[in-house]
Amino acid sequence: MKRTFPLFLVFIFGILGIIPFIIPHPIVQNLDESIRNDILKILVAFALVLGLGSLLKVHMDKIKRKRENWQYSWILIISFLVSSIIGLFGGVAGAGPLPTSIGSFHFDIQTLYENIFMPLGATMFALLAFYMASASYRAFRARSFEATLLLITAFIIMIGIIPLGDKISPHLPSFAQWIMTVPNVAGQRGILLGVALGIIATSLKIILGIERSWLGGGE
Amino acid sequence: MKFIERLTTIDRRIIYLVLAIVVLIPLISRSPERVRVMPPVEKLYNAVDTIPKDKVLIIDFGYAPQDMPELEPMGFALLRHAFEKRIKVLALCLYVQPLGLAQKALTEVTEEFNSVAQTNADSIIYGRDYVFLGWQPPPLIPMLGMGISITNVYPGDYYGNKTDTLPLMKYVKNYNDVALLVSLSAGSIPRSWVAYAQNRFGVAVAAGVTAVSAADFYQYYQTGQFTGLMTGMKGAAEYEELVETRLNIKKSRKASEALPSLTYGHLVMIAFIIIGNIGYFVQRKRRQK
Repeated sequence: MKRTFPLFLVFIFGILGIIPFIIPHPIVQNLDESIRNDILKILVAFALVLGLGSLLKVHMDKIKRKRENWQYSWILIISFLVSSIIGLFGGVAGAGPLPTSIGSFHFDIQTLYENIFMPLGATMFALLAFYMASASYRAFRARSFEATLLLITAFIIMIGIIPLGDKISPHLPSFAQWIMTVPNVAGQRGILLGVALGIIATSLKIILGIERSWLGGGE
Repeated sequence: MKFIERLTTIDRRIIYLVLAIVVLIPLISRSPERVRVMPPVEKLYNAVDTIPKDKVLIIDFGYAPQDMPELEPMGFALLRHAFEKRIKVLALCLYVQPLGLAQKALTEVTEEFNSVAQTNADSIIYGRDYVFLGWQPPPLIPMLGMGISITNVYPGDYYGNKTDTLPLMKYVKNYNDVALLVSLSAGSIPRSWVAYAQNRFGVAVAAGVTAVSAADFYQYYQTGQFTGLMTGMKGAAEYEELVETRLNIKKSRKASEALPSLTYGHLVMIAFIIIGNIGYFVQRKRRQK
């Protein structure tokens, strides 16, 4: 029963997910809408609570057992609680029941987002440019014909997508565009078709119960 | 010999320093770079420009802070274009991270218009001219659900208002009332809009994507599944160029102002790759001898 029931559920909901794309009858469409709007929303709400609960549990456990870098878990828990309380009770722009400003100092969720989350997120990604420059200098070598071709293409694209490309020759941006829309598309489309066929095959195997690794190996 | 060896072993800190200098200096001077508009962006502009009065534009703000330099200017330019032409806008996010950025873009662009508005009709008013639907997980729910009823998927907007009480939502029922959906994303979401919203309900989709992910999306533009496509900072600068030249909106052009940094950054990377390769070839030749 432990294995049969999940397999049965996956089969039923898998088929129900496919049918609305094929049968436009109102009964089928309404059923599909009700599954998505009612059942799926509830499932996602549970998943969110479970996910947040699990995150807190993992970090509480890390602090309790004083695992490596346990101090950072406090930052996560405190940030989580503060932003949750302000977000839940302070309203979107400080319009909730919880006061989110002292004089001219504001700490509503949007202010926190713009002044903490945005700079942190942008900083993390900005570092990538430096790593990329260093890595491409060390690793991007014209060792073979294919590598040389890749190198030349990369240079054309890199110059073609900056205004300088247009100043060198008006044909350069158009040529860069052609590389993206013709040779690139040819390769991408082949990959995409292969991936799509693979997804269809794997999905069918899961729906029909042939592929069961997602059930886990435990009793 | 020593010089050639040095070409292949430049300290990474020197590379970091050179890159930092060439990126930072143009950002201080902040002079917008003019760009030639390419067909994918022009098509998107024309598609937005020709949206009928009884239809709306949906903007899916799908960018997080790490994608801001490339995608935020696209959002601003699109909103300026839509508000200038009095095109009604529905804004939404499929993930929680971009919510604050969408709110920022909507607030700032609305403020730009309202600061010079003389009358109520000139102003951009929430609920009448645009609605921020907020976030409804998972992405599949809004993508498919809005084909049947938008207010069913989003019973409340981002600010907690009941959507069916907002004036704009009285006539916007589902995708039949949507002329174009523009997805601004650094991930694969524009592809999902095509797979679910376009294939099943026929809604026109366009995208604004980061330069690094652009290669994944050109096939959708080539087939016509994307009405238009903006890629990276240059795509954003091209849209800004169109908004400024055709609509005479002279506001801050973040992408165009950042383009010189991008130009010098690319040139520095190309220079370092060439230097590394010169060193590599000279060393290889010596070894062969």
